Amino acid sequence: MIQFINVSKVYDNGLQALNNVNISVESGEFVFIVGASGAGKSTLVKLLLKEIEPTEGKIIVNDVDLSRMKRKEIPFYRRGIGVVFQDFRLLPTKTVYENVAFAMEIVEASRKEIRRQVPAVLGMVGLASKANAYPSQLSGGEQQRTALARALVNNPSILIADEPTGNLDAATAAEIMKIINMINHRGTTVIMATHARDIVNSMKKRVITFRKGIVVSDKEKGEYFCED
Amino acid sequence: MKIRTWKRMAGQGFRSLFRNRVMSLASISAIAAALFVLGLVMAVVMNFNNIIAGLESKVEITIFLKTDTHSSDIKRMEQQIQSWEGISEWEYISKDEALETWREEWGDMAYLLDGYNSENNPLPDSFHIKVQKPEFVESVVEKASKFAAVEKVQYSKDVVDSIASIASTTRFFGMIIVVVLIIMAMIIIHNTIRISVYSRRREVNIMKYIGATDWYIRWPFLIEGMALGLIGAAISGGLTAGVYSLLLKRISSSPMQGNLLSQFQLLPLDSILYPIVGLFIMVGSAVGIAASLLSISKHLKV
Repeated sequence: MIQFINVSKVYDNGLQALNNVNISVESGEFVFIVGASGAGKSTLVKLLLKEIEPTEGKIIVNDVDLSRMKRKEIPFYRRGIGVVFQDFRLLPTKTVYENVAFAMEIVEASRKEIRRQVPAVLGMVGLASKANAYPSQLSGGEQQRTALARALVNNPSILIADEPTGNLDAATAAEIMKIINMINHRGTTVIMATHARDIVNSMKKRVITFRKGIVVSDKEKGEYFCED
Repeated sequence: MKIRTWKRMAGQGFRSLFRNRVMSLASISAIAAALFVLGLVMAVVMNFNNIIAGLESKVEITIFLKTDTHSSDIKRMEQQIQSWEGISEWEYISKDEALETWREEWGDMAYLLDGYNSENNPLPDSFHIKVQKPEFVESVVEKASKFAAVEKVQYSKDVVDSIASIASTTRFFGMIIVVVLIIMAMIIIHNTIRISVYSRRREVNIMKYIGATDWYIRWPFLIEGMALGLIGAAISGGLTAGVYSLLLKRISSSPMQGNLLSQFQLLPLDSILYPIVGLFIMVGSAVGIAASLLSISKHLKV
């Protein structure tokens, strides 16, 4: 489903972020991408979202070679991928409901679909009662749940989570992980880049470890190891 | 795209307009000023063209005679003129008659001419000739010019030429001013849209991740630019209409009778306003769209 074949990325400033990376992720898998800052996690996420192009190698997602994708097709490709970030990236002037509905408006969903789908997704992440709150009135965990709802509302086949628990305390992080795990059980492939040792160790999922742009280990039911 | 989406994007565009009130106002004033000058130039040129068209359809020739032309010479000329081809009417007007006509035309203001009498009358004797068709003008002018006593032969072509040259000069310099103003307006609108892009950068960033198409992201900014241009067009349209109708009022009440141009009325407001406002709408929205396209291509990374 997701394949990185001999992927290298050298930035314009000469920094080598990824070096001959080969990864294959099956549909429905849950994969942690771990490594110190600068190990290449963010580059991997950006490549997957086709924000940047690899210097060498091929990335294939759902049988599509990303390097052959036309510019016009990128938005439609991204609609199949939900993303959440460490900093949530919610719109402060919109309520929880509106932030989630916004994602459906962009893909031109009908008003009827929006009215049906948004409450359902908010219920799934446990935010039904906060639909009319603004992000500033929410806790960090609630904000990240809003972001998750927004990422999921268009039913993506892949969820990319870039340090989703980075700004949260342990208990809140565990709640978020429960939701992400649930999403994975519903069949969504999850790629999660993280620093959080405890979370990785408790989940018993596949762990791919990066160091200086190189994949140094790739284990099923792996553990977090990283000498940073 | 669906109507609902268009509505949504228009809403975003207008919200931006209000959010950056100061810049929006600057943009609107700039485009309104540029269009207003364009409107004035157009109004002047259209009126000149109207006068030219009127003059060209006239078939009148005036032959001014040298002062102290002997009456026997005048008799001889009369006989010759009668024999010319294509003459429909002709009339000899002595300088005394001309002064009298002038007095009548000036009406209440005629006292200004009280200093003139038959001793110091500055007007020349003249023949006024009408031909049957404009084609006869040239040959009549040619023959008339051969009279020894002729001071000057005046006919519509002279006036047409000089008005046409005034019109083209007006158009030339007017257009230079308009182009400069439009460039300034574009720079200001460009900046307004840049600020608008900047203030919505978070939203744009999120939209990209969610999978908004490039045009879904761009349209609100284009709509904002176009709205700036159109509001500017509306304001300058109102200004042009106001100034022009004021001008119409002034001129229709002024005593400029007897002047050659007075035979021609200024064009009525309607007939200049529709083409001018049409042009304002086109130029205004084109300038707005062009400026925001430039700004978007430079500052909006989609």
